[in-house]
Amino acid sequence: MVVDQIHDLQQVYRKILHSMSRPGNISKLNSITEKMNEEFPCNHAFLLSALTFIDAEVTFHVIANQEKKARLTEIISSYTMAKTEAIDKADFILMLQDAPEYQIEKAFIECKTGNLHDPQLSATWIVECDLLSNSTGLSLNGPGINGAQQLQTGLHHSFWQKRNEKVNEYPLGIDVILADFSSQVACIPRTTSVTITEVS
Amino acid sequence: MITKPHFAFFDEGSKKEIRRATLKAVAIPGYQVPFASREMPIARGWGTGGLQLTLSLIGKDDVLKVIDQGADESVNAVSIKKLVRHTTGVSVTEDTGEANIIQSRHRIPEKQLREDQILVLQVPNPEPLRKVEAREYLTKRMHAEDDYSGAWLLLFEQIMKYGRMSTGAEHPVYVNGRYMMTPSPIPRFDNPKMHQSKALILLGAGREKKIFAVPPYTDVKSLAFDDYPFAVESFEGKACKLCGSTDVFLDEIIDPDTGERSYQCNDTSFCMEHLNAKEKEEVENSYV
Repeated sequence: MVVDQIHDLQQVYRKILHSMSRPGNISKLNSITEKMNEEFPCNHAFLLSALTFIDAEVTFHVIANQEKKARLTEIISSYTMAKTEAIDKADFILMLQDAPEYQIEKAFIECKTGNLHDPQLSATWIVECDLLSNSTGLSLNGPGINGAQQLQTGLHHSFWQKRNEKVNEYPLGIDVILADFSSQVACIPRTTSVTITEVS
Repeated sequence: MITKPHFAFFDEGSKKEIRRATLKAVAIPGYQVPFASREMPIARGWGTGGLQLTLSLIGKDDVLKVIDQGADESVNAVSIKKLVRHTTGVSVTEDTGEANIIQSRHRIPEKQLREDQILVLQVPNPEPLRKVEAREYLTKRMHAEDDYSGAWLLLFEQIMKYGRMSTGAEHPVYVNGRYMMTPSPIPRFDNPKMHQSKALILLGAGREKKIFAVPPYTDVKSLAFDDYPFAVESFEGKACKLCGSTDVFLDEIIDPDTGERSYQCNDTSFCMEHLNAKEKEEVENSYV
């Protein structure tokens, strides 16, 4: 991998920050993912998002099928020195596209949402998805959005239903970073109201 | 042996810590996210929070502007620019429109900010409830319980005493209808600029180890009573003696010998831009 840990990850951070402050706004990471020639168990934008925020100070938990889970856990640990942790303690939940439904459900039930004194002690989800676009699927409202924003994530509507349940008690909740196979990222923080407009 | 400084001064672990806190701050508008504030080569209280945010954000292609009380050339602004430039090599500018990261102390630029710009504000006292309660764990509990009666009472006491809300700067605001936040010591004049701002606003308090944020297009409402509405400083009938601007925040200058009062734009780059535009117009007209 020829990703520059200083300058490339700074670029990724700025793109994710831009997308997090403007929910549903899609940012492209092509200029950086082009340099990545290795095969990973996840897409390149997903890996870059994880490398930007994870280090030895935080913990993570991978939800994916057994084989990919082991490989990705090893890769993230060796690149970042971070430790994997149980879902209810992990700071980052890394969810791959082929994650089994029961594992996603378990993660939604157990993951951290912070507490009223420290709502920042919540899990950030990095989610791999097929293709992000600003066509209909989800209608987003809230801080960072001028009016309304459309987002199509390709994720099953049950994912967004569970996410909505998880952010019901604002300021408690989870923040989601979505990374697709076309090197794009988009974010949905806990403040965003997500309405499912199309049932997939 | 003199070693070259690391890009943007920090090691990557420090940047990640600040970046994680910033992301949470954006996700919970107005909430003060605690972070492991680093020792900086400038004194705490001199903009270390803002500087740490700037250093965590900045990349090779960014253009930085630093202002202190509206001025680009004051000591604090110049020192911070020198440090960032020395450790990153980025270009610095005085032109608000040219910059994509603007670090500021005590002012929001007069020129409206764009969507691609980030405003970083230096915050000495991030806790709007500190005058009400000295203990941090209790103010945290007040934020948790949405209990802001103490802050309202402070304003009420000011009205009882002076007949109006007498906050000079740091007039508290509600962000997204949930958290009460200090907008940093900007004058009341600048508070409305935070409401539905096009640019992302990040606030950093290095000494107090807090980062908070106002995402773009977010409601920011200054505290006010129905019968005592929020009002910005009034400069009615006054204009900048240099450029003639009237709808800007003005500094009052008193001549020590004559006692004569005059007014000048507080935002020096805005004033300069106006003066240059006026001069250009004059030159063009005189040629004809």
